[in-house]
Amino acid sequence: MKRVLSNKWSIMVFVLPTLVFFTYIVTIPIVKTIWYSLLSEIPAIAKDSHFVGLDNFIKLFTPARRNAFPGAVLNSLMYAGVSVFIQLPFSLILALLISSGIKGESFYRNAYFIPVVISSVVVSMLWQRIYKDILPAGLELIGLSEPKNGFLANSNTKMWAVFIPSLWQYVGYHMLLMYGALRSIPSDIIEAAIVDGASGPRLAWSIQIPMIKPMLKVCLSFSLIGSFKLFDTPWVLLGRDAKDLPALYMYVTMFSSHKYSLASSAAVFIVVECLVFTVLLNYIFREQNERQPGRARRLSGK
Amino acid sequence: MKKIVALLLALILVMGLTPVLAEQHEEVTLTVGSIWSAESEANRAPFLQTLAEFEEAYPWIHLEVDWNEANAWKEKGETLALSDSLPDVMYWNAGGVLWNLVGSGDILALNDYLTEDIMARIEGGTLTDMTFDGKIYELPYTKACSMLYCNTELFDKYGVKIPETWDELIAAVEAFKAAGVTPMTVGGADQWPTNMYTDIIALRYAGDAACRAAYYKTEGATFMTQDWLDGVAAFQQLIEIGAFPDNAASLTRDESEVAYFAGEIPMYVHGQWFAGSLSAEMQQKVKAVKFPAVGKGYDNQFMGGAAEGFCVSAYTEHPDEAFIACQFLAEHQSKNGFIAGAGLPAWKYDFSAYTDTINPVMLQIVAETSSADSFLLWGNTALTGDDAVLIGETVFDVLKGEMTAEEWCEEMETIFE
Repeated sequence: MKRVLSNKWSIMVFVLPTLVFFTYIVTIPIVKTIWYSLLSEIPAIAKDSHFVGLDNFIKLFTPARRNAFPGAVLNSLMYAGVSVFIQLPFSLILALLISSGIKGESFYRNAYFIPVVISSVVVSMLWQRIYKDILPAGLELIGLSEPKNGFLANSNTKMWAVFIPSLWQYVGYHMLLMYGALRSIPSDIIEAAIVDGASGPRLAWSIQIPMIKPMLKVCLSFSLIGSFKLFDTPWVLLGRDAKDLPALYMYVTMFSSHKYSLASSAAVFIVVECLVFTVLLNYIFREQNERQPGRARRLSGK
Repeated sequence: MKKIVALLLALILVMGLTPVLAEQHEEVTLTVGSIWSAESEANRAPFLQTLAEFEEAYPWIHLEVDWNEANAWKEKGETLALSDSLPDVMYWNAGGVLWNLVGSGDILALNDYLTEDIMARIEGGTLTDMTFDGKIYELPYTKACSMLYCNTELFDKYGVKIPETWDELIAAVEAFKAAGVTPMTVGGADQWPTNMYTDIIALRYAGDAACRAAYYKTEGATFMTQDWLDGVAAFQQLIEIGAFPDNAASLTRDESEVAYFAGEIPMYVHGQWFAGSLSAEMQQKVKAVKFPAVGKGYDNQFMGGAAEGFCVSAYTEHPDEAFIACQFLAEHQSKNGFIAGAGLPAWKYDFSAYTDTINPVMLQIVAETSSADSFLLWGNTALTGDDAVLIGETVFDVLKGEMTAEEWCEEMETIFE
């Protein structure tokens, strides 16, 4: 076995099928999408298809009355901000509370996780009923009325109406990841901290949160990438022709406007945006990790 | 003598075999792309019957049907076209949507197959939006048109006259509003149902020639005329006097129609297929009428025409059989769909035996449109790509009260740049 694994040719033979499959279904489509984004239009629908460089990307960000892409990117950044600063802290608080050994721990854990297992389309349809029937009826009861054109068509409320179900649905997901990390902290560390007088918020801030930092980074990555790719919930809630988020813009540009190259450039932008933020996140967390050994060396006097 | 007898016997044998040989066909399987996947679709049952009739008429041609939801099929069909893998025969829209595929060489021209006999059976004028550069690419199965559907029960209850003029329409809206009844409905979130209103109002103000020129981007066409402006302003007037529900912009078409089906909405402008969705009880209450006149003389013009049909993929390996299927499906769906109350026929057929069983609202539409001056495809169907998206978005903005009539005309004018 050792002899087989040390032979480069053998390794190549084992890797080859996966490599071919991966290249065929992942690498080639990505390369093709990048190539399409650099053309005036894809050859399948335009006989005069030609290379235009970054023109499509410039077009994406050129201000024009009906160019929805800059606004869509801003909306996705706003959603990312809300996810990071509201959804994740809320998930963390829930995870800390549930893992603190409260009565009915298992019930709460499952209850908060239920929205995650429901299809996003179903969740969106439930919230559609809330926005269109339940909430207006409730507002009417207390003498108020829904905003002009309803929650889902009013320019001031529609993005929040989309963000809330998405945030609500994935709170349980992040909570469960954090809960798992909190539960994996060795009990003797917690007990030692309690013996030293730490409890409640102090225990969470000084012991638990620092110890689950790798998981917080994972949640942050998922949350950011998910924000930039958000599609299903707004697609159901806002209708088929909405272009208020980058993924929606890409879809409508491709399948309604039939501008495949422009849609490809939007797709490339989304991928690059996700990559940039992932690298940025790794850099921020790596900086902290790198600082820690130095700090440890200083403390030990070496 | 023996030789002659043997020769005769051989001749008889060969002649006897000839019809048998002639009847033999090679088994062929064709793929068919279809909409009407939902059981509730008015066209589904007639299409199932059409398929059964085809199976009986052409037992050697097997059809494998891929059922889809209408919008999903449009997107799927366009994706399949990009990879040259369209089904042999398929349902498709006419106008700009068809042109997208014709322009990229995905659809087979049918001229070589269309005999004089077949052409004589197709209703006049229905091939207009299926013909490009003199070549016919699609065969219609139905003729579409938008109508004003009035719930006579509500009109009688509140003593309101079914409107024939714009002033009567405004008076009817105000009368229903005063009685606490929402006068009209529209599914704004889906955008295209709003086009049903704006298109017919614009047609009444600007007329078929001006609208056709604009939607087909003919040289010299413009939206910057007083007629277009008045048309959009008239639609705004309906919004301002409260003709639609307050949240109309956030309602989908399905949601917007619920109240009408429940008998709570007196007026609705929509396509003829809406008549097929009415329950037997509602069919007795609803009267389909022409959209009111505005005094410009375009009162007998209709939005619609033959906007749906069947076409053949340019990549089919069996073009002869695919044409047989395409023509059969279009002609028989035209007959079966009309008998079932799902649509107006696009092929000539004697329906006198079915008068008692056909949806009465559909018969009213046939009567109203039988002497129509013209039919014009809806703007979002005639226009293509970005232009079609733009007319949907701008009309949606007008519905939301975020765009004036002047801004609408100016923005639509950009399609000519």
